[in-house]
Amino acid sequence: MKKRVGVFVCECGTNISSVVNTVEVAEYAKSLPGVVFATNYKYMCSDPGQELIRKTIAEEGLEQVVVASCTPRMHGKTFYNATEKGGLNGYLCEMANIREQNSWVHPDKEEATAKAKDLVRMTVNKVLLNKPLEVQTIPVTKKALVIGGGIAGMQAALDIAEAGHKVILVEKEATIGGKMTQIDKTFPTMDCAA
Amino acid sequence: MSINNENWEPTIIVFACNWCSYAAADLAGLNRLEYPANVRIIRTPCSGRMDPLLVLRAFNRGADGVLLSG
Amino acid sequence: MVAVAQHPNIELVTLAEVTKVAGYIGNFDVTIKKKAKYVDWDLCTGCGTCWEKCPEKKLLDDFELGLGQTTAIRVAFPQAVPGKAYIDADHCRVLNDRKCGICEKLCPAEAIRFKDQDEYVTEQVGAIVMATGYDLFKWEEAYGEYGYGKYPDVISSLHFERIASAGGPTGGNIVRPSDGKVPEAVAFIKCVGSRDDTKGKSYCSRACCMYTAKHAFQVKDKLPDSESYVFYMDVRTAGKNYEEFYQRSLDAGAKYIRGRVSKIYPRGNKLVLKTEDTLLSMALEVEVDMVVLATAMVPSEGARDLARVIGFSTDKDGFFQEAHPKLQPVETFTAGVYLAGACQGPKDIPDTVAQASAAAVKVCGIFSKERLATEPLITEVDINKCSGCGFCVPVCPYKAITLEELPERGFTRLVADINSSLCQGCGACLPACRTTALNLKGFTNEQIVSEVDALCL
Repeated sequence: MKKRVGVFVCECGTNISSVVNTVEVAEYAKSLPGVVFATNYKYMCSDPGQELIRKTIAEEGLEQVVVASCTPRMHGKTFYNATEKGGLNGYLCEMANIREQNSWVHPDKEEATAKAKDLVRMTVNKVLLNKPLEVQTIPVTKKALVIGGGIAGMQAALDIAEAGHKVILVEKEATIGGKMTQIDKTFPTMDCAA
Repeated sequence: MSINNENWEPTIIVFACNWCSYAAADLAGLNRLEYPANVRIIRTPCSGRMDPLLVLRAFNRGADGVLLSG
Repeated sequence: MVAVAQHPNIELVTLAEVTKVAGYIGNFDVTIKKKAKYVDWDLCTGCGTCWEKCPEKKLLDDFELGLGQTTAIRVAFPQAVPGKAYIDADHCRVLNDRKCGICEKLCPAEAIRFKDQDEYVTEQVGAIVMATGYDLFKWEEAYGEYGYGKYPDVISSLHFERIASAGGPTGGNIVRPSDGKVPEAVAFIKCVGSRDDTKGKSYCSRACCMYTAKHAFQVKDKLPDSESYVFYMDVRTAGKNYEEFYQRSLDAGAKYIRGRVSKIYPRGNKLVLKTEDTLLSMALEVEVDMVVLATAMVPSEGARDLARVIGFSTDKDGFFQEAHPKLQPVETFTAGVYLAGACQGPKDIPDTVAQASAAAVKVCGIFSKERLATEPLITEVDINKCSGCGFCVPVCPYKAITLEELPERGFTRLVADINSSLCQGCGACLPACRTTALNLKGFTNEQIVSEVDALCL
């Protein structure tokens, strides 16, 4: 696979750019081996931000994408999708976490900018070894098991059954109803429990 | 930089499990809990994935400290 | 309850336990143990001839928590669903090698089967909802100051429910268990086992404040001349119309006293409570006829074992662990297994119903698809490098690795095989692999080394 990495540095409004010099990080990224394009943008996760990724993949013929922004636990899926829309396999996108694990915890601008560069360098190194991966699918048996026949089990079983699916309700006692059958009246309406 | 230099800062490599420690580091960010900037976090799928050789590799390449967390 | 039994899509299996679960989301293989009932339920009509004639009539009734008596062949209670008879094997004379067999002779449907055995069946399901509920904290084992259960008129709140119930052993008349007398004063003690680090559990059981308000109200409602005391640490009424209900209980004349009861002891045929009123800063002695303890909710017996069988975790108190306390309160760490009700943590009825419906929606979400997508970030095997040592097999927490025979140049050798549906991509197998035949897609050895190298320039 060709090494054509695009690096997109997010400012996250001022969440990142108030501490990290994103222009400097993008400039630095351009100097890294394999990187053919780098830029910074206000909000990478916004529609125009995603559109920028999609367009750049086509225009610059990118083969790998690095988004330096928030945690991948937050927007991993977003940029996976943006990469797919650009015509690349979504697994060729990696994120560098320069918000939660950098700008939000390090007040010193110089140190935070240096760390952002390190994280971008690390992520570029990794993404160069990424391979396109295919999502697999498995069949689904459309039958549910509910363990316990008290209020919770009965309600869940009824809701699933009403949606048109088969349910096996397993109860260890001889009757369903659980503790509810032993209760007299219930608060706050004082209606009968059974 | 030499350890004898008074401006010396150690390089700390953290291998953090995606499901707990990495998420905790995110949470630290969310709560703006400051910590020294010479910590670099590498995301791993689980601390069980950590091969001892990766720790040795980090030391071998000049890391001053390695934290495995998961 | 009847709606559940009559629903064409629900198969009801009572007197049964799940003993084994294998497989993964969308494709679980479940083994269910159906306990011997000694009655053919296809034939039993629930007519009642058998339990009317059963000679074992003085067994303690579990359903009435020992407040009533029952027979060896029985239904759990008159409105039980399904309303079929079963035999209690511990107490049936025939099953304990004594002479009897009256039920067999009299059953008009000829449904009695003394030779019935436990039966194991396997089922294939796509999703599992855990709804195993709670048990009550065994206060008798912990609270010596309340008599370790030796005073018959110190009872739990569930006992009180049976006493207050029109279908219960007293026909709904609030009387003392010891002598059947109408109590002139009833004391309710909250947080017995809850919020007590020294003897019980650290957590709040959430429902007790409200059901105690209900019980205190019921005493004043049914016995206007009797006193109803509630001893409490705090009153927690966070729920729609809950505070109003508590006020209604106060308006009815329930007396709330803020203080822990330090001792209960008998005086004549009364019970004396030594306590304090912390709002008045004074010690108190209160004489009552009956004490009702609002005991903590604890995970139901066997919940921990069941969690182990299915393969997900429990929290520090033994409740089932949700995947995230706020954002995934219904999911577990095992895909396709969901939580409903008090098995996840103490809950009242509205919260239980809401969580059960949420779990049902999660299940329906899975069932709305013909096939499920799986994350491709899983382990792959380089069969050219794999030596078949098998070190990785026991390491895998998801039982996703097996050794398979690979025919090669007239020989067969063993190589590791990854079940892509079971593998969760944790990578625990990688350090176990001596030949680096295993690699984790998305987190390969090469990728992590490249990250390390980039950072340690």
